[in-house]
Amino acid sequence: MTNKNQSIIKNKTLGHFIALMFFMVLGYGLYSAASNMNYIWKWTSVPSYFAYEEQVEIKSDIDGTIKIIDKNNVVIKGDKESKKITIPTGYTIQLKNNDEIYSDDTIIANYKSWHAGPLLLGLMVTLQISLFSAILAFSIGVSLAFMRLSSYQFLKDIATVYITVIRGTPLLVQIFIFYFIIATIFDLERFLAGALSLGIFFGAYIAEVLRGAIQSVNKGQYEAAKSLGMNYMQTMIFIIMPQALKRALPTLIGEMIALVKDSSLISVISITDLTKVGREIVANTFSPFETWLIVAAMYFVITAMLSLLGNRIEKKMANQGGM
Amino acid sequence: MSTKQQSNSISIQNLSLSFGKTEVLKKIDLEIQAGEFFSFLGPSGSGKSTLLRAISGFGPTPSGSIKIGDDDITNLPAWRRNVGMVFQSYALWPHMSVRKNVAFGLEERKIAKKEINRLVDEALDLVSLKDLADRHPSQLSGGQQQRIALARTIVVKPRVLLLDEPLSNLDANLRVQMRRDILSLQRRLGLTTIFVTHDQEEANTISDRMAVLDDGIIQQIGSPVDLYDNPVNRFVASFLGSANIISGQIKNQQFKSSNNLTLETNIKKNKKCDLIIRPQSIDISTTKKQNKNSYQLTGQVLYFEFLGQTVRYFVEVQGHEFIIDCQHTKDKKIINNNEKVFLNITTDQILFL
Repeated sequence: MTNKNQSIIKNKTLGHFIALMFFMVLGYGLYSAASNMNYIWKWTSVPSYFAYEEQVEIKSDIDGTIKIIDKNNVVIKGDKESKKITIPTGYTIQLKNNDEIYSDDTIIANYKSWHAGPLLLGLMVTLQISLFSAILAFSIGVSLAFMRLSSYQFLKDIATVYITVIRGTPLLVQIFIFYFIIATIFDLERFLAGALSLGIFFGAYIAEVLRGAIQSVNKGQYEAAKSLGMNYMQTMIFIIMPQALKRALPTLIGEMIALVKDSSLISVISITDLTKVGREIVANTFSPFETWLIVAAMYFVITAMLSLLGNRIEKKMANQGGM
Repeated sequence: MSTKQQSNSISIQNLSLSFGKTEVLKKIDLEIQAGEFFSFLGPSGSGKSTLLRAISGFGPTPSGSIKIGDDDITNLPAWRRNVGMVFQSYALWPHMSVRKNVAFGLEERKIAKKEINRLVDEALDLVSLKDLADRHPSQLSGGQQQRIALARTIVVKPRVLLLDEPLSNLDANLRVQMRRDILSLQRRLGLTTIFVTHDQEEANTISDRMAVLDDGIIQQIGSPVDLYDNPVNRFVASFLGSANIISGQIKNQQFKSSNNLTLETNIKKNKKCDLIIRPQSIDISTTKKQNKNSYQLTGQVLYFEFLGQTVRYFVEVQGHEFIIDCQHTKDKKIINNNEKVFLNITTDQILFL
């Protein structure tokens, strides 16, 4: 619906265009500011940090001439001795029969293979640690939520203290405490220490999200289930949780996004995640601008995909009767 | 479903319940026959819903006892009572289809799938909503949702059916239709049913018997006609329909109001009491009539309301305002404001309580 009396500034297409211009101007401003401080952009080196081609070579340790028997076997005839060399499948022989060979110099055969660069390896670590701590956080969150709603006072108290303490202290400090104290006592690996501290931290937040969602389900929903003969567990699993999770979903996705982003903090305990890799690349190349922009973009891709997933699930649920 | 009818009577004895320091139910005694359609009628805060919830097992545990048939259910958790409840808000499960909503109570009882399907079809048929089985609750109207809630409850064959103001969220026409449908369903299934309402018309039309509650106490139990004609106190009289109620006292077989309105009575005991007359029991006329066994009063019309079927006159008699309902027909003349009128009340139409 378009309103004819609408002022031009409220026009949608124009609005998008203005916003686009804004970001382009901002981007150009940053670019020229960087140029003015004589920063040399080296984008060409960036792809090799994602993946690089490595060449594996086979050389001879004696001088002589080569005689190719077949694809996998060659013989080097030297002045004093002959040597048979086996070429593994996949390698390409670079010489012709009777070509001269200089020891440790002439490449007899080579094999090119692609390797994941540090950025991809770091990304994998970030994804692994996020997934691991997300599962942990969700489990802790569900347990704590039910403890807080429990009719047993001691469970309530334990959960309340946990949530208050965890939410009341900075994640970075918790990571340090976990790594330097708890991980030392129990002799835990760094990865585990990092994932646990993230899981424990986000568990407290997820607990509160879930508790709120469970409490927001109308009392009648419980009573209807109970009057039909369902016990507490059945009521929770089949009637309350499906509705509560649906309501909590947008916030839960938000927590997951925060978790992925905050996983960058575990780089301080020397876990080679995306952020740590970024620091290493900057140290090697002195190209902080490109590196950090790329690292930021990679985090953004993960979080954007999470948001998209969340939107999709929400839409699907809305079609199924909605709330 | 009617094989167990005999054992599904409800017996409540000495039931009291408090929320903190507030006593909400005070020593309730009540017997409901198996297969009876019984209503709890009362204003909000009277305790009627609390009493129903105590029977279904929700809310704080009361003192006293509740029995269904021979089984004492006072201390059973709600889910063990086999008491079906239909809620004012319907409380359908929004994440399940209509069929699933109805089937779920059976599925949790580990009944064979084929049997479940048959029972669900039967229940949906009873509420004439088989066509909507695949929809979700949000796609249904209020009336349809209420029918599904009803189907969901009766499909598990509860021993008693509890209806907590099930019609109050529906519009007027639908409400009339639904209460007829509920009644016919109840008759067919022979279910012992308790219906909670604050609407006396609803209770009157639907119940075999009803209990009028006020202030956590059952004021009176009886059939709708009985309660209307023979209320035991001022509250019941005024809550069921309109009534002219005048406070006063009887002395020497004479009722005297605060404004000295005096009426002879054959009650010998001297006491403080209320005089109660239904508005339609008073004959109003501009000419004086002489009838045996009737009281004659003289008054002046203050104003009147024309309601179509009846004309409601507000008449001042010795400082008391009387409401008088007069059947209206085409040939009947309306008495104007400020006209002098004669009121004629047959003695047996007056209650002194």
